[in-house]
Amino acid sequence: MLETILQDRFAVTAVILFGIGFMNLMLQQDLLKKVVGFNIMDSAVFLLLASLGYIEGHTAPIVEEGAVNASLYINPIPSGLVLTGIVVSVSITAFSLALIQRIYRRYGTIQLRELLEKAKKEED
Amino acid sequence: MSNGPEKQDWRTRLVSWVDGDREPKDQSLFVMEQRHRRRFLPTEEEHERREKTRLHRFFNWYPVAAVFIALTLVTVLLGTVLQMPLFGQESNPINNEVAEHYLEHGEEDTGSSNAVTAMILSYRGFDTLGESCVLFLAVTSVMMLLLKDGEDEDGKLARRSAREADQEEHGDIILKRTAWVLTPFIFLFAIYVLLNGETSPGGGFSGGTILGAGLILFSSAFGQRNVRVIMDRKTYSFIRTFGLMLYALLYGAYIFFGANGLPNYLAGMALLIDLAVGLVVACTIYGFYALFSTGEI
Repeated sequence: MLETILQDRFAVTAVILFGIGFMNLMLQQDLLKKVVGFNIMDSAVFLLLASLGYIEGHTAPIVEEGAVNASLYINPIPSGLVLTGIVVSVSITAFSLALIQRIYRRYGTIQLRELLEKAKKEED
Repeated sequence: MSNGPEKQDWRTRLVSWVDGDREPKDQSLFVMEQRHRRRFLPTEEEHERREKTRLHRFFNWYPVAAVFIALTLVTVLLGTVLQMPLFGQESNPINNEVAEHYLEHGEEDTGSSNAVTAMILSYRGFDTLGESCVLFLAVTSVMMLLLKDGEDEDGKLARRSAREADQEEHGDIILKRTAWVLTPFIFLFAIYVLLNGETSPGGGFSGGTILGAGLILFSSAFGQRNVRVIMDRKTYSFIRTFGLMLYALLYGAYIFFGANGLPNYLAGMALLIDLAVGLVVACTIYGFYALFSTGEI
């Protein structure tokens, strides 16, 4: 068990990071901090994905002349997939920050509790 | 059957209940909840008080539920992760023939020795096209949300820009000097990374990000007005769209000409595709900064 954890350390770290991010997302009252939590979750996923492609003792996938042999390099596919994830994460972060800025302009606060009360009051 | 008639009875009662008979014959069977008719409407403050307690109760229980859900999720994920193939083993199922093909034939197929670049720009170029579109749309939507227009808080705008001009005039001297020294080198490095994406770590995304970072440093030190001299909103929009279109066109041509094993005179195409991605990414990064800091580009 302990050996498995040690061997899979990146995956375990990713899960713990994911948990931290998720708690942050759920428990913070501040919308900005929620976004931070969301980003921590993203990083956890990227860590997990990127660590999947690693092979012990192999080098970065930049093929050198005369050494065209797949057993020398790590797996390039997860790196490419992580790139997609990072792009989407950046876009979503920017979009939610813009929304938060609009919310602040409208209600004058980004604390979730006050926001709910204010929105409810305006609704009535 | 002794309960035949009883069943019949049950059925008719059900039918009449469904049809809207408010008082079924046997009240104990079908009336789920007996409640007195409300005799009064709650007053305004009573209503408010109730809403408040409801909200309070929600906020009291919310953390408990959140912690519970998070812990459950983490436990499930941990269980899953420990069942996964071990880290860093060559025999893992992820290291299959696809990766092998990319590594062994990447150079002759696409002309780039960096397998990741070969993958994202050639083998999976449509994926990258999608990513560029996502970035493009993100900037567009942030623009829609944050861009200042004439009718937006009319008086405020003029005052703020005056104050800004003042701030830009007496900016931080350390920042200014550092930016003065660093910006050219950052641009140089960005171009180096952009052009060498095929043979070394780097490529459109990292190079574009560095380019955008250089722009951000420049504009935070010398003010956005100086950036706007070389790149106003029209130019910015043009570059942004141009990058995306260039990418789509080039990649379409690349596929049209047969993708793998291009003739020699088209060998530089991957480089151009890289540049197009770099343009889109740089514009995105700088656009986010400009929109969030002043609401203008």
